[in-house]
Amino acid sequence: MSEDIHIVDEFIERLGSGKQSVIPILQSIQNHFNYLPQEALERVCEKTSITPARIISVASFYSQFRFKPAGEHIIKVCVGTACHVKGAEQVYDAFKREFQLNEDEDTSSSGKYTIEKVNCLGCCTLAPVVQIDQITYGHVHSGKIGDVLQDFEKLKDTKSGKRFRKASGEEIQGEIRIGLGSCCVASGSSEIRDAVKETIENKGLNVKLKHVGCVGMCHQVPLMEIVPLQGESILYSKVKAVDVEQIIQEHFQPAGFFNRIGNKMLNLMENVVDEGRWSGVERYSLDMREKHVSSFLGRQKPIATEFRGIINPVDINEYISREGFRALDICLGEKSPDSIIDEILKSGIRGRGGGGFPTGRKWKIVSEQRAEKKYIICNGDEGDPGAFMDRMLLESYPYRVIEGMIMAAYATGCHEGIFYIRAEYPLAVQRVQEALEICYEEGYLGKNIRGSSFDFELSVFKGAGAFVCGEETALIASIEGDRGFPHIRPPYPAVEGLWGYPTLVNNTETFAQIPFILRHGAGVFNAIGTEKSTGSKVFALAGKINRGGLIEVPMGISIREVIEEIGGGVAGGRKFKAVQIGGPSGGCIPASMADISIDYESLVEAGAMMGSGGMVVLDDTDCMVDIARYFLSFTQNESCGKCTFCRVGTKRMYEILIKITSGKGEEKDLEELEKLAEWTKKGSLCGLGKTAPNPVLSTLKFFRDEYEAHIRGVCPSGKCKEMIQYIITDDCIGCTLCVQDCPVDAIPFRPHEKHEINQELCIKCDGCRQVCPEDAIVTR
Amino acid sequence: MVKIKIDNRSLEVKVGIPVIQAAAEAGVEIPSMCWREGKNHITSCMICLVKDAGSGRLFPSCSVAVSEGMEIISMDDEIREARKTALDLLLSEHVGDCTAPCQLTCPAHMNIPLMNRYLAKGDFENALKVVKKDIALPSVFGRICSAPCEGACYRKSVDEPVSICLLKRAAGDEYPEKEETFLPAIDTEKNKKVSIIGAGPAGLSAAWYLRLRGYEIDLIDRNAIPGGSMRLEVEKGILPAEILEKETDVIRKLGVKFSMNTEVNEELFAKIQKSSHAILICSGSGKSGMDKWGLPDRSADPKTFRLENSNIFIAGSALKPAKMAIKALGQGKEAAFSIDQFLQGKKVVGEYFMFNSRFGKLAAEELSEYMKESIDTGRLIPENISKGFSREEVIQEAARCMHCDCRDIDTCRLRIYSDLYKADQKRYHSEERRIIKKYFQHKELVYEPGKCIKCGICVDIAAEYKEELGMTFIGRGFDVEIGIPFTNDLQEGLKKAALLAAGACPTGALSEKNKDEQYES
Repeated sequence: MSEDIHIVDEFIERLGSGKQSVIPILQSIQNHFNYLPQEALERVCEKTSITPARIISVASFYSQFRFKPAGEHIIKVCVGTACHVKGAEQVYDAFKREFQLNEDEDTSSSGKYTIEKVNCLGCCTLAPVVQIDQITYGHVHSGKIGDVLQDFEKLKDTKSGKRFRKASGEEIQGEIRIGLGSCCVASGSSEIRDAVKETIENKGLNVKLKHVGCVGMCHQVPLMEIVPLQGESILYSKVKAVDVEQIIQEHFQPAGFFNRIGNKMLNLMENVVDEGRWSGVERYSLDMREKHVSSFLGRQKPIATEFRGIINPVDINEYISREGFRALDICLGEKSPDSIIDEILKSGIRGRGGGGFPTGRKWKIVSEQRAEKKYIICNGDEGDPGAFMDRMLLESYPYRVIEGMIMAAYATGCHEGIFYIRAEYPLAVQRVQEALEICYEEGYLGKNIRGSSFDFELSVFKGAGAFVCGEETALIASIEGDRGFPHIRPPYPAVEGLWGYPTLVNNTETFAQIPFILRHGAGVFNAIGTEKSTGSKVFALAGKINRGGLIEVPMGISIREVIEEIGGGVAGGRKFKAVQIGGPSGGCIPASMADISIDYESLVEAGAMMGSGGMVVLDDTDCMVDIARYFLSFTQNESCGKCTFCRVGTKRMYEILIKITSGKGEEKDLEELEKLAEWTKKGSLCGLGKTAPNPVLSTLKFFRDEYEAHIRGVCPSGKCKEMIQYIITDDCIGCTLCVQDCPVDAIPFRPHEKHEINQELCIKCDGCRQVCPEDAIVTR
Repeated sequence: MVKIKIDNRSLEVKVGIPVIQAAAEAGVEIPSMCWREGKNHITSCMICLVKDAGSGRLFPSCSVAVSEGMEIISMDDEIREARKTALDLLLSEHVGDCTAPCQLTCPAHMNIPLMNRYLAKGDFENALKVVKKDIALPSVFGRICSAPCEGACYRKSVDEPVSICLLKRAAGDEYPEKEETFLPAIDTEKNKKVSIIGAGPAGLSAAWYLRLRGYEIDLIDRNAIPGGSMRLEVEKGILPAEILEKETDVIRKLGVKFSMNTEVNEELFAKIQKSSHAILICSGSGKSGMDKWGLPDRSADPKTFRLENSNIFIAGSALKPAKMAIKALGQGKEAAFSIDQFLQGKKVVGEYFMFNSRFGKLAAEELSEYMKESIDTGRLIPENISKGFSREEVIQEAARCMHCDCRDIDTCRLRIYSDLYKADQKRYHSEERRIIKKYFQHKELVYEPGKCIKCGICVDIAAEYKEELGMTFIGRGFDVEIGIPFTNDLQEGLKKAALLAAGACPTGALSEKNKDEQYES
């Protein structure tokens, strides 16, 4: 250690010794040592002007930093919203059991594994998801963690291990869905199913074949949908068995193929869809003719995600060939800053980060400030546990965001800009950094951009894990090397922001939509959407939905259209109950209100909020009180801890919700919960606290009967662990699968007999229910 | 200067100052705990919320600067409720007692820990002053008191309770030698007469405290010797007659008139009523003449002891028969508060008990924290119980006290505002609470994180004084704590600004270790 300590001096040398360097230095130390050794921190204080008080307060604020060494491998269990509703807690518990960890332990006694919860890995459609080092496992359940670990052990030394794997250890390349509704079957879908199976086996593809129920487009049957891990899914209509092999070949490559490609710039998810494949655009247009078939895409309006799945993220020439930087050339060549701001004002675009402040007005305020310096910040600190739009935009369209920022800087008179990106998004950081380098080389950044007199410098700042830093004043505090404490506005950052200078802070998605507006004109943009909410919005559609994914839809589209037409309806034939929009700041909108339009005002009116754009679909097996508890567990943990109402209020709300979901709730708890939610809303200083009660208030408003049922001792959806029992029905065939799965031997081994669960031993891990082939295990 | 309105009053105030300061300059006091004028602060406590008259929105007045045309409402029902809720929330995580459990349990609410601390230092005189503030007959009650305080003593969980009753006796017994030097000064004479019927514990106690307030007292009893029920203890041999005599004598010396051998009949009662401004009846549970005096209804208010709409007060067993003499004694003292309020024409509310934080049960692992302020010797038992403790024994036994009361009980702003806003600590009661820690390494300070409201004032002060290590926030969310970087040693954190930090701490989290405690009369 002590000889190693000199590496700290190198970090300081490279990263600076002012207070703004504290987070980068800490990140380097942790990268090197795998935690923050006290000796290293003391060294920093000795060699820089960073005080001990600052380094400890900052290091202990951000969840990225560890004061104790982590295990050799880190198991990240995603507890994002989509994973939560699919049983992530049980998966986490199962890992804890596996390593025999007690409440406060997170590292196995051998020091091999550290297990931690992460808020969102951004693979909501694979939920529940577990990531061990760089390998991601999807569709994990509590009974499968043994397989996961075994597979990881096998793979960890082979560098070529695929990054996306099924819980069983197979590499996942994607999914092929075949409709098995009665119309589909009648039209010959079972032949197609056989053809798909044969192709998969012959080619050695690790593609999941999934049967879906009736998709509702019965006149187009049979349907076959190709769903790559990420990116577009394609629906083929009126498929014939003879076409199957060719279609599959267009989408998937045999196992082993990617090792040879070895293009480190592209992650595997995209390899799956990007390489040696179908000819993107044409395929779309072909399908687009069939209105219903193409509904997943047809109802979408890609602006931020324009040319999705077509352009290579870091290839600047491809970006340029698809109209990239055209808007910038127009701006620098012929437009004055004021006319750009006018255009943005006219377009009606509002902040895509959730608040919905008119972007043009923000720009105008910044442009009007007289200051020797101004800053521009791209807010990519996406923290909503059910959303990954910013990540996808930064990873897939870094040039578009950069272009948006350059034009914003030009319009407002800024010459220095910062990308603030969550450290949990390493690929986004890497892509943006690469793109920045190329932009400098190509003259899009730096001095005299594109031959104009405009100079602009752009760099990346990695966040360190704090949801509250999505709040602009907290984000600025974080860049300045402080804890992410928000401060009261006014002064707004547009007037007094980073280092006291006027600062334009916009969300990633906002910047990503700017090039479109300035290329096509405000009129084209504001023709889309509603009067007050113009343009389109990107959402992460996940949860209990047939076709989840990243979608970009015109404002004003109804929730029902998104869920039924784009998302293909609720998965598994369950009943649509509600949709959670806006994550921890948003609320649950019940199925009965699904016809409301998706725009800023309507969502707020319904008790939700645009938020950053997480959209998690819930079905009748989801407990709304549990959902509220889930979000409060998130916010009370992410509260910066500064103001009374948020620090203590969210904690107490969370406790009341625990009380209710564990069957100990009383009538008066509901009233107290509601009151406390109102006070926390009114009395909090920043957006986090002001919106943290929304998940409680909206569920209390629309699902009060469920709360009342809990008070009476019943969890109607059979979700709340402490209020239910696992019971085996007469459908049991005595196959003993559940017996083998049970981690606590609560099911006696009686082959060919109806099994029974010993309630005293049962820990309600849900493993048995997952493995039962007959659906004979139910909760009550 | 800018023009603003606070509660509809037009003001001209300096540009850029926060609303709370502008209000203060206009004489409108807004509560606050985390704000210091002209200094950095982080907007934390949220009890300074006020309302923007235009939008109706609440905002923290410490963090918003005045601006031209601003209109502010500094108080209404919503603001009061908001501040109370903020306090309720802060109290729900406040792991600290204001008053020690012994004092709370004592029917006379005697400040036992303070007495103990004086005794442990050998300062018997101040110890006695503390006792006599609530107990007019220390030597007597040092013998006959049933000492419910000892049942509540936290030390009980370590070994045995502190021998509080005997310590109180020692304080009282030490006194008579100095009696000439110690008769408290009497307030200006009020020229009003209070007749007290019954010279038992309640009557004697009331006589003492009312006389001290400057009232003319006629203490009437049918017996030849004062003492009431306490005389039974003399008969039983528990209470030496001369002790009772000595202590009633002190009361006599204060100027209380004793009318002994006087049976109050209907006629005399009418006479007393005519000649007195107020009457206190504490004639015990026996057959008093109350019904004969035309007072069939004894239902005086249990808090003020006042018989509705009259100048008659009833205390002790005459109000409700009780076995504990200390209860009657306590009531006599409390009735004196009511009578004083009545005679001064104030609202009669009785003795005022301030808001008091209580965290509940002490956990086993917390005993060691409490023992840090105590000594590890067992409860002393005097060789001869009738003689009590020797001086040395007193000092040793008193040092067993664990200082369960808060050091900043009189200055804590959380307590003052909780009292003002009638905050309710139980409203957001949580099953879980923080484990109590007490840090004593610092020469001058005690740090009790359980009482911290995370305002960050000490962090800022340490930074202002360029402390080498200083204080810092550790963690975030509900679990955030204030600590010292790299170490647990507060001495290392606060080398220069320790007392300043303790003085600025709004609660008892950081407090001065050896504060000179003043007996307040």
